[in-house]
Parts: sequence; C-alpha cells; structure tokens
Amino acid sequence: MRKHPADLILPALVLAAFAVAPFLYSNELMLFNFIAFLALAQGLNIVYGFTGYLPFGYVGFYGAGAYGFALAVMHLHAPPLAAMAAGAGAALLLAVILLPLLRLSGAYFAIASLAAAQAVYEVVSNPALQHITKGPYGVSLSAVFAPRFSYYVALAILGVAFALVVWLRNSRFGLALQAIREDPVSAGMAGVSVVRGRTVAWLLSALVAGLVGAVFAWHISVFYPDTAFDLGVSIFSVVFVLFGGATTLTGPLLGVLILYGVYNAIGITVPQYFQFIYGALIVGLVLFLPNGLVSLLTARGLRVP
Amino acid sequence: MMAALALLAGFATASWAAPVPKEIRVGTLYASTGPFASISMPAYDGLRLWARQVNAAGGLYVKPYGRKIPVRLIAYDDQSSTATAATLYNELISRDHVNVLIADSGSVLTSVAVPIAREHKMFLFDISGTGKPFFTRDNPYIALMSLPISTLWPSVQADFLDSVGLRAGIRRVAILYATNDFSGTHANALAGYLREAGKLRIVYDQGVPTNTSNYTVLINNIAATKPDAVIELGFPGNDIGFLRALHESGEHFRYVFTLFGGFEMHALLGGAGAAAMDGTFTYVPAALYPYKVNYGPTLARFHAAWDAAYPKGSGVPWGADGLMGYMTGLVVQKALATTTGMGQLDLRRAVFAQSGKLRTLAGPFRLSRDGAQIGEMTPVGQLHADGHGGLRLVAVYPPAAAKAKPVFGK
Repeated sequence: MRKHPADLILPALVLAAFAVAPFLYSNELMLFNFIAFLALAQGLNIVYGFTGYLPFGYVGFYGAGAYGFALAVMHLHAPPLAAMAAGAGAALLLAVILLPLLRLSGAYFAIASLAAAQAVYEVVSNPALQHITKGPYGVSLSAVFAPRFSYYVALAILGVAFALVVWLRNSRFGLALQAIREDPVSAGMAGVSVVRGRTVAWLLSALVAGLVGAVFAWHISVFYPDTAFDLGVSIFSVVFVLFGGATTLTGPLLGVLILYGVYNAIGITVPQYFQFIYGALIVGLVLFLPNGLVSLLTARGLRVP
Repeated sequence: MMAALALLAGFATASWAAPVPKEIRVGTLYASTGPFASISMPAYDGLRLWARQVNAAGGLYVKPYGRKIPVRLIAYDDQSSTATAATLYNELISRDHVNVLIADSGSVLTSVAVPIAREHKMFLFDISGTGKPFFTRDNPYIALMSLPISTLWPSVQADFLDSVGLRAGIRRVAILYATNDFSGTHANALAGYLREAGKLRIVYDQGVPTNTSNYTVLINNIAATKPDAVIELGFPGNDIGFLRALHESGEHFRYVFTLFGGFEMHALLGGAGAAAMDGTFTYVPAALYPYKVNYGPTLARFHAAWDAAYPKGSGVPWGADGLMGYMTGLVVQKALATTTGMGQLDLRRAVFAQSGKLRTLAGPFRLSRDGAQIGEMTPVGQLHADGHGGLRLVAVYPPAAAKAKPVFGK
C-alpha cells in the first residue's frame, strides 16, 4: 500500500495542539470534551466509514466504558489505569454480546443498536442494582479525581483512534472493509472474509468508545446513568462524522471542530440560536453535501487525509 | 510628627491595599429547558432580583475594600444537561474568574459542580443540591444554603408519623418514590428513620422511574397492602400523576403525602386540581411560612418585591425556588460584608461564621462541619380546599411551627 504522509502529519498536529492547549486556554473541561468527541467521531468512523453500519446506539459502548471504570474503582478499588482497562473490557463484552446485530443492516441495524443501548441503560439505572451500580443515583469517584492526568490519557486515546483510522486507510484490511461496505456479496466472492472484517471493525469501534467513556468517568468523577448513556453523545458523534465526511481522518475532525466549536461559541450564551444554526447547517449539508464537507475536495478527485 | 506618621500611614494604605475591583462577579447556571427548568428558573429569577436590589442600593458592601461595589451576575444556560453544566462551571471559574460561584438548583446539576469547584479551590454556594455525597469532611469548598440535607430532611415527617400519626392510629406505611437522586435519597432516609424507630410497619416500599405518569396500577398495588399512610415522593410531574390517579381511583387512605404539594402548589393545583389535593399532607416551604428574620426582608416584604419585579403575566411564578435563589444571594451578601479577605477560604469562614446566627426568610441558617444545611427543618403541613378552587397550606408539625391540628382521613 502507498503511504500518505499527510495521514500522519494531520493527527500529529492535532495531538500536539491539544497537548499544549491547557496552557493557553484555561477551560480544560471544554478541551477535554473536544478530545472526547474527536475520539468518538473517529471510533464511529471505523464502523460507519469503513463498513457502512451506523449505530445510533453508539453511546451504549461509551456508557459501558464509563460504568466499567466506575465499578472497577468502587468495588475493586482498582487504580485508574487498571480501571480504564475494565472500562474497555466492558465495552468489548457488550460489543460481543451485540454481534448478532450485524446480521441486520441499514435503518434496522441503527434502531436495533439504539434499543440495545437503551436496554443497557435500563439495567445500569435499575434501583434494584443500587448496591452494584448505584442505580439511578449516580456514582461519585472523587477518590481518583485527577483532571490533568486524565486529560492526557484522553489525548492518548485520541492518538489510538487516529492510529486505527490511519491503519484502516492504508492497509489491505481497510480496503477489504470498504469493499464489504460497497458490496458484501462481491467482496465475499473475491475472498474477503465479510464476517471477520465486520466483527473486527465493530470491536475496534466499541473499544474506542469504551475507552472514551472510561476516561470521561475518570475526568468528571461524578455522573448519573443519564449522563453516561445520554443519547446526545450518539447524536453528536453521528452528526460530526456525517457533517465532515466519513472514511477520512479529516471529515470527523472538521465535523467536531466546526460543529462542537459552534456549540461552545454560541450554545453557551444563546442556546436557542445555537439550535437554529445547528439545524440550518445540518439541513444545508443533507441537501447540498450529503457526503460531508470533504466531498467538496474528493469530488474533484483530490485525496483528503 | 504625629501628622507625618498619619500621612505616612495613609500613603502606605493607599499604596499597598489591593486595588478595588469595579464589580463583584457572581457566577451561576440556570436551566431554561429540560427536566430541571421548573426549579432552576425561579431560583435564577430570585438571584436576579437580589442582584438588582443590591445594585439599586449602590452595590454590595465588601469588607476587605471597605466600600460598596456593584455586583455583576454572570449566568449561562445549561439546559438541564450535566455535561453542559460541567463545561459551563469551568467557564465561570477559569474564563470569567468569578468571585462567587453559585450552583444551579437541585442535586443533579449541582453534582458536577462539586468536584470542579473543589479542584479549582472555589467555594460553592449550593442553593438546593441536598445530596449527601456532596458534603464530606475533606472538602471545605461547599455549603448548602436553603434546604436541609436529604438524609436529614425526612426526619420531621418520620417524627410526625411516629408521634402524632401513631396516636391517631397510623400503623402501616406505604412509600412510593421516583428513582432519582433527590426523591430516592429522601425515600431511603425516611424508610430508615421509620425502621429505626420501629413503631410503624412499612408495608410497601417501591421505586418507579421518574418519567412515570400513570399511577393507576401502582395505587391498586398499594391499596392491596392496606396501608394507613401513603407517602409519594417524586418531582412535581410525579405528584400530579399520583394525585390524579388516586382521586380517580376512589381509593382512600388516612394519610397521603406528596413532596411538592407545597413547594409547587400552583403547578400541582393546575395539574391535579384542588379536590385531588384536599386533605393531603406535604412540606411547608419557606415561601408559605413567615420565619422571623434578623437579616434581609421578611416574607411579606419579599413577596411584595417579587410581585413588583415579576408581576402576574410575566411568566415568572412566585414560590419556594425563587425564595431559595434570593436567600442564597443574601448569604453571599452577608459573607462579603463580614469576610476578612477575598480568598475562597476567607469566604468559607465568613459563611460558616453565620451558622447558628443568621435567620433569613428561608429560616434559621445552620451548617454542619462538612457544609450540609441542618438549620432549616421544613415543617409538615396539610392542604385544605378554600372553596374557591384554591388551597390553604397549614403547618401541623413540629409543635413549635404548627398552626393547626392535623386532620386524618377515616
């Protein structure tokens, strides 16, 4: 496969910018949220951009990661980095349980994944499980609260997400996934293992979301099931990927930087205008750029990182 | 010589004293939409009224500067989202550099402020986040202003049932609660008090999702356990659904309690109607109980000021939440007027110095060592239809606050 230096330079620049950003901009939580959404958008990009599966319930993995982390801290008194592994493990376990969903496609898959995420939320927030998950009353992890350290762990996770997308864009496996996305029957006939390809993409995508959820739990330290399984996380991630353009590094990146930037610039002071502008942007995009912003360049035959 | 020394002292003071800021920045959040808008917006309106009154009087007296300084309220809309609220609390602290940080109303939107305030060593004025986990000995950066901590709050009702209720023949208690941080903790604490006393038997103790609106089956289930007292704890929407279903079911219990019957009386009246609420018990909020004050306006004067600021038709309702927001402003005002410095721990010392001394229109202000409010014990009251489609709420317990005797159903 041909190597494209821009595929490495772009993520490196983003990571470097966010590494120094806390020294230049004091609202670290806002920067953290940018990193979290950048990683989630790239994680969603893995499954949607490369296989065509759009999981509306992507937040389920995020919530599983957050609660995996919380349970490890609360019950096992695990140190935060070990609890991160527990969060990732919880998301992977959920992904394995939900593997049969991959037999569905299109809107059926999207809705089924959403229902699955809601089911996990209902289990976690069940008052009968209060002694395990704290039920609907939320968890407090103040003992491991370390905002600066967890910020840089989140940045490392973003690096992992970038690396996965770069790998998929430059590997035979990534090409095989794209072949599956375009026509699974033909890809199978050509010797591509469709089931294996989809499964790996699904698990990698879940892993990223689980890690982001776990680091979110660590960074914020106090949260409720409604927060960890907030459908807004899914919606934002999906919109960011669609807005920028899937299968690329740049698309989800642009989606997060522009839309989440607008959200923070306008949404903080005048949320009503934010919703209006957000709505107008998305309507305009769907009508005129259904393949995202990057299609402005790719339509002209340019390769976008 | 003395004149020279005096001149020198004056010069030194002028040269070395900290520069006087042109404003005191008070930062807070409010929720204009979402599930917490109904409690958040009135509290924010109360704070706005306080800030307006302070500025009309020339500003806040700030002791370290020895003069009055205008107050600037910086507020953002978190839309009832904890994720948004977390970012905005950070914005207030790290970008706006507020001098005073006030949490949004309720435990959920306060919860994210607690670790953030602590991390930034910012003292958090907690309006009504009553969750017990917020208050720990190792966190000096929080104090609850206007409601008792959730684990202590139900003790008044438990005492009432264990004494007056028991004498009236109340033996079996059913507790139905919405599973959110606020009413869930309240229910667990109440059940704990009743079990500890061991005088009454809890025959039903069930949590339901906060978005429950149909209580018909639940009421049938409760009736099957033959309770004398039914205590429903939830948000106003839950109370409305419960009262409506109870009224329509034809079931009668000797004692029926709802959490927001007094706090959100007008909302419940509009949703459930006076007939459904007649005879039920609830807490008596400070907005309906004239406490003796030694700081700030009396309830009557505050009510008049509120009506002048937010006349009927303005869409801003009068009630307990507005009073709590205003009362928080009063505590900020008193703290700044007495603090020895402008550091956050100075502010904390000034607030805690008022514990046991300050009495505002929200009642006596008393803090535990970890910052939980333990002074304002909300009385239990009973609602009576006034015959004109409205209701009267009369305090019935504790005896020191009671204005009438409770009337239990048959």
